[in-house]
Amino acid sequence: MVIHMDAAEGIDVKCVDLRKTFRDFWMRPRVRAVEGIDLEIRRGQIYGLLGPNGSGKSTTIKMLLGLLTPSSGRVAVLGKSPRDVAIKKHVGYLPEESYLYRFLSARETLDYYGRLFKLPRKVRNERVDRLLEMVGLDAVEHRPVGEFSKGMQRRVGLAQSLINDPQLLILDEPTSGMDPVAARQIKDLIMDLGRRGKTVLLCTHQLSDVEDLCDRVAIMFGGKVRAEGTCEDLLTRTDQTTIQTSALSDSVIAEVCSLLKERGAQTVEVDQPRRRMEALFVEIVEKARAEGLQTSGAAATSGVADFLKDTVVADVVPRSAPAATPTDGGPAHDVDTDLLESLTRR
Amino acid sequence: MTEMSSSTTQIVTTRRQRNQFISWPHLRSSLIWLVAVAAIGLAASHLLEVQAGKSAADALRYTTLFLAITISAHGLFVQNSNESALRHTGLFLSILLAGQLAAEAAVRLGSVSLGTLFLGFAAAAAGRHAWRAFSSTPQLRPLATWLTSTAGVAAVIAFLARHDQLLLATAFTGITGMVIGCFAGLAGVRALLSSPNGTFAVARVTIDEAVRMRAALLLLVLLVVLIPTLPLALDHTERLEYRVQFFLSWSLGSASLILSLLTIVFTSSSICGDIESFRIHMTLAKPLQRWEYLLGKWLGVMIFNFILVGLTGIGTYTFAKTLAGTQATDAIDREAVDQHILAARTAVTPSPASPTEREQAIEAAINKLEQDAPDYFRNNPAAARSRVRFEYDWAWHTVAPDMVSTYVFHNLESAKARNAPLQLQLKPRVNNVEIDLAEVRFAMWLNGRPWPMQDGVHLAQTLPSQADHIFSLPPDVIDEEGNLEITFENKNLVSAGATIPSAITFSPGDGLRLLYRAGSFRGNVLKCLAVIWMKLSLVAAASIAAASFLGSSTALLLALSIYFGAMGSGFIRDALMQYNIAAGSFLGVVMGRMSAAWELFLSGRFYEAGRMLLGFVTDFVLAILPAFSNYDAIGSVANGLLFPLNDLVACCALIGVAYPLGFGLVGWAGLARRDLLPSTT
Repeated sequence: MVIHMDAAEGIDVKCVDLRKTFRDFWMRPRVRAVEGIDLEIRRGQIYGLLGPNGSGKSTTIKMLLGLLTPSSGRVAVLGKSPRDVAIKKHVGYLPEESYLYRFLSARETLDYYGRLFKLPRKVRNERVDRLLEMVGLDAVEHRPVGEFSKGMQRRVGLAQSLINDPQLLILDEPTSGMDPVAARQIKDLIMDLGRRGKTVLLCTHQLSDVEDLCDRVAIMFGGKVRAEGTCEDLLTRTDQTTIQTSALSDSVIAEVCSLLKERGAQTVEVDQPRRRMEALFVEIVEKARAEGLQTSGAAATSGVADFLKDTVVADVVPRSAPAATPTDGGPAHDVDTDLLESLTRR
Repeated sequence: MTEMSSSTTQIVTTRRQRNQFISWPHLRSSLIWLVAVAAIGLAASHLLEVQAGKSAADALRYTTLFLAITISAHGLFVQNSNESALRHTGLFLSILLAGQLAAEAAVRLGSVSLGTLFLGFAAAAAGRHAWRAFSSTPQLRPLATWLTSTAGVAAVIAFLARHDQLLLATAFTGITGMVIGCFAGLAGVRALLSSPNGTFAVARVTIDEAVRMRAALLLLVLLVVLIPTLPLALDHTERLEYRVQFFLSWSLGSASLILSLLTIVFTSSSICGDIESFRIHMTLAKPLQRWEYLLGKWLGVMIFNFILVGLTGIGTYTFAKTLAGTQATDAIDREAVDQHILAARTAVTPSPASPTEREQAIEAAINKLEQDAPDYFRNNPAAARSRVRFEYDWAWHTVAPDMVSTYVFHNLESAKARNAPLQLQLKPRVNNVEIDLAEVRFAMWLNGRPWPMQDGVHLAQTLPSQADHIFSLPPDVIDEEGNLEITFENKNLVSAGATIPSAITFSPGDGLRLLYRAGSFRGNVLKCLAVIWMKLSLVAAASIAAASFLGSSTALLLALSIYFGAMGSGFIRDALMQYNIAAGSFLGVVMGRMSAAWELFLSGRFYEAGRMLLGFVTDFVLAILPAFSNYDAIGSVANGLLFPLNDLVACCALIGVAYPLGFGLVGWAGLARRDLLPSTT
């Protein structure tokens, strides 16, 4: 593992006053994509980078990967400059779209990226098998990627980002183009990776993804970070209280309402909770799968590839807050117990 | 796509289910058809034999048999077999057998080409059947298709050979061999590149891209089809010597051109495509240096080219040999093909007795001219000097009227050691305008002894002016030191009104030289292939350099200009040397230009001075451009001249390594700090 000041402090990504101005052929400034960003992502965090289209998210990510050269400012990834290819051994990257060689099959694609990591053949074959199984493409592994649907290509992209068992995973729109079931499974996967101590930088404009997954969030607009903090800090409303119970009869509701008003509550609203569409969709599809209906597309994703090791870090930063607000579809995710688990497992 | 595949699966399943038992109704109907066709066919052919003759009846019998086989195969294997292996093998054999019979039937009717067509059709059908049969096992699909098609092509070749179409059979064999060689080579290379190394990984994907992208395939097909079919297209009444020569230069030349264009288009589009479609982001987010990426691309292209150049070599060599084995026009033609073209000969030109004396003579001539006509040297002294030198050379190769000139050929020891016959190549010319006198007459002495002698008489030679002649000399005319002196006496006739006959001039270079066999044709072809490959190395590196900092179309244009510049620079340089600047180092040329421009400036001829300075641009471009024409290996092979090993080494070092390295540095500089976004240029 890379040993450096930042890394020793458990900071995997650090940007100080990072700027990027795109210039044209005559070196005239054209677009100020990023204007002075400061970021600090600690080891084991799932960090959400939010913002509308064109807010500079992807540009920032590409500077972190050394694909673009910053105009000014400092970037450190795993304690080193992104120009240093040695760090890339520990970085996984899923771009905002799957830029794959159309003529390679799914297996050949993963094998190619495995070779770039100089993985020996045996390790490579094992990992490719596991990853194809994990993203549910093992049945179509010999078909050229060019024939795949967008969601299937996305799965290939996700699989290749994990082939090196990365410490830092940079995911740009991981769930775009995927059906809700797959998206849910990808989210579970990310959460699981986070539990294993991987650092995840999640860049998206799917707000629900962020809400479900992220420990910390930065919201960008116009090349600047407008808000940054834990989900808890940003989302908790201090001016309201919600009480959930099992279904009550009308008379009991009326009784409770009057009691609340008596005790000084100013507005009381009673509502029958709705399920989220995502939860409903997932339930229907799971049921159909359980009944054994066939599909010719990608199969269900399964488990997490077992070569993705738990990262053992001396100073894993305790998560500041439970990441997800448990909804009736999502798994309850108690971070503190997970953290304990991961520490004791060591 | 997905819906389609699922429906296909369903069809397959239902058919399998139906075939789990023998279907009697189908078998019965097949049997009825079989009996009916056989009876009608045999009866009709019997009648035909009485009425029209044996061959027509035979054709009908074959056709009947063909139909019978088709019906039985259909009835037995398609309808009634649930064993898929048996079904496929049976069907495949039936298709080929039926094709064979159809072809024989066509031959009975007198058309071998129609037969070939039938058999070819059967081979294609068999291949298609194999492709469809293995749809559920994609791993075996290519292998099965290949084996089946190869068996089909083998049947076609055997058929052609049986019916005395040897050249056509060879062409088919050649095409098949080249295609199989190509695929075997690719498989071998992919296995070689399988070690876990970033550069190798990029190279392997590049090869896959080249193979699986259709544009590259088109050029490949062009190459595979052009070379073997050319010998068929040549005019059979032409002398074999010229046919072989034309075939060699054309097939090697066109292959070199096609491969260069393929390399340029493929390399630049591969890199620019990676950048423009952002695929490079995925690759360079991995632990791979940018130079490793470029090196991988170059390696991939070069390996692909190696296979293609190898194919070209196999094709050219085999077909040249085949073509040379066909009927020659006469004995002289036969000797020319075997001894002059399918050989690798070294050429020796005569050298002056004393090189220092020669230099002194040239210097004296220059000094004299400088005094007599100083204007001649004013504009461009270096060019004037080279003109004087050229004229001196011309004069040295001239046998003056009623005079005797002796030319000494040195360093013939190895020719003597080989004990191979010497070939004396002469291209004499006279300045007579009268047609009757446009003949060169001279007598020859070898080492002072008259030659050739016939019945004790020294024969004089009479040859048409300005044509090539080759005399075969016995190797023992070379003396102990490895020298040969050839003396010419001018015996030209005197034209009417003139007092002396005209002079004889041997054009310097190929007009007066000795040739002897010094290597094998095969070795020469190998060297030529190496030179072509080295040139491709340069072209690939230039394309990579252009693609590293330019957009796809601009990069393509730049790479093409470098290629055509390299092709033409030698000729431009020769032309400039003739008219403008002298040979010599780049620095010498620059100094010459500077001083000439300064003198012109002092004498007030500003326009001339400016023009002289502008010439720097040309000089510079010519100086940095590689010159492909310096290594004309294709010309050597076509003319049966040994391509010298020194030239091969120089070509490898300069064209194959030094220039590509330079271009590689340019490419690295272009990509190293670049933002990986599509280029705007």
